[in-house]
Amino acid sequence: MKQWLMGLVMGLMSLTALAAVDTPEQITRKVSDDVLAIIKQNEKDPLKVRDMVDARVSPLADYTRMTALAVGRYWKSATPEQQQALTREFRTMLVRTYLSALTVYKNAQVDVKGARPGQSDNEQSVRSEVSLPGQKVIPVDFSFQKGNSGWKVYDISVDGISFIVNNRNQFGAVIRKDGVDGLIKQLADRNNALKNGTAAK
Amino acid sequence: MKRLLALLGALLLAGCATPQNSYDPLEPMNRAVYAVNRDLDKKILLPITRSYVENVPQPVQTGVKNFFGNIDDFFDVFASAAQFKATKAVHSFSRVLVNTTAGLGGVIDWGTDLGMQKSDEDFGQVLGFYGVPSGPYLMVPFYGPVTLRDSAEPIGRYFMGPLDFIQSAAWDVGYYSLWIVDARSEILPLDGLLSTQPDEYAYLRDGYLQRRWNKIHDGYPPYPLPLGEPDDAEGSFDPGPTDVAAPVSDAASAPLADDASSSVSAMPETGGGARFSIGSEEEDGTLEVQ
Repeated sequence: MKQWLMGLVMGLMSLTALAAVDTPEQITRKVSDDVLAIIKQNEKDPLKVRDMVDARVSPLADYTRMTALAVGRYWKSATPEQQQALTREFRTMLVRTYLSALTVYKNAQVDVKGARPGQSDNEQSVRSEVSLPGQKVIPVDFSFQKGNSGWKVYDISVDGISFIVNNRNQFGAVIRKDGVDGLIKQLADRNNALKNGTAAK
Repeated sequence: MKRLLALLGALLLAGCATPQNSYDPLEPMNRAVYAVNRDLDKKILLPITRSYVENVPQPVQTGVKNFFGNIDDFFDVFASAAQFKATKAVHSFSRVLVNTTAGLGGVIDWGTDLGMQKSDEDFGQVLGFYGVPSGPYLMVPFYGPVTLRDSAEPIGRYFMGPLDFIQSAAWDVGYYSLWIVDARSEILPLDGLLSTQPDEYAYLRDGYLQRRWNKIHDGYPPYPLPLGEPDDAEGSFDPGPTDVAAPVSDAASAPLADDASSSVSAMPETGGGARFSIGSEEEDGTLEVQ
């Protein structure tokens, strides 16, 4: 019995040790390998790719912070319910627009170049380069933060274009005109229009 | 004519009054041009491009892409050399040499197979390398977005085209038509993305400006481009990591908020380009619209 317990404890310890060892760079490598595999296996079915990739990446993304950064200074004036709704719609928008267009990258190669320290010990940014045969390399950066449940992504830059920065101006304009609820409604309407993956076109 | 000038002046002033983005003082005019461009695109260019992509055999499309890519490589040689980027210049020069001869005028891209990397330098980046600020963002009729500085690329190309010795109107028409369709086909995936944005114009502009800023700094900008309102830059709204287990006011998020305003000067060394906490007034000033 004692030995069994010992074994269990040892096993758990090595498990947590493994989890702690995963650096942002390793996470990026694993996830990009998995995502490319998903795309290759389902290249004819963008919707399936979208859902499978979503399931793979969502535990690794801090959508709430991502949304807060995209909404900018209006975030604090939103009620918790509005913040939740914004996060939900922003996440859906990201999934429906970006993830359903992934089948273009069925022949892509992802080259993870390495991580750079961020503002604090709790932040790192991982540089990767995505290339399609014979085309220019596109740098993709993942900004990681370390929270209570490990490293998570709060921003992605494609060719220097950051998700959060690129949405801030237009979201701000909508909020100034129609308020926070106006932005939620606009995002929801567009998401509904995209329900069947028409944005993949 | 006078009235037109007055109108233009009014538009300029109106643009200066409410800058949503400090790089876009001509926003009202740009928006008007964008609306026309987009309309023409949807009615003429987009249908032609879709039909090109769907009906022209893939090897032909690849050949066309390679042909224009070879011309890009030609200009890249000069742009890289002017920035003392020797490796890039050599790679691009070798590509042009191999692809123009063995690749039948650029139609076949042997260079990539031979390990010669394609680079992405242009004359706008050359000016940026020598410290020229971007200048205002412009939406050019029938062309698209460009900043004043980066217009050096299309203008430079126009005056030193490698194929200028061909004196034929038919060639010119064919060349430019195919070039436009090929260029448009490359950004087809963006259409879905753009059409889902609440403000297409602002989304495109902010994306373009960030992309150029990134290219000028070869992928490692010292700090993110300050777009939008000045107080957006402070990052005071940053909640920090929002793990389910961690309340927003958790200690883990506190250092982030402090860092955002204080450690700007350290950023170039740490290379922390991914954060969006923005530089001080002086640093911003160097980028201001001239």
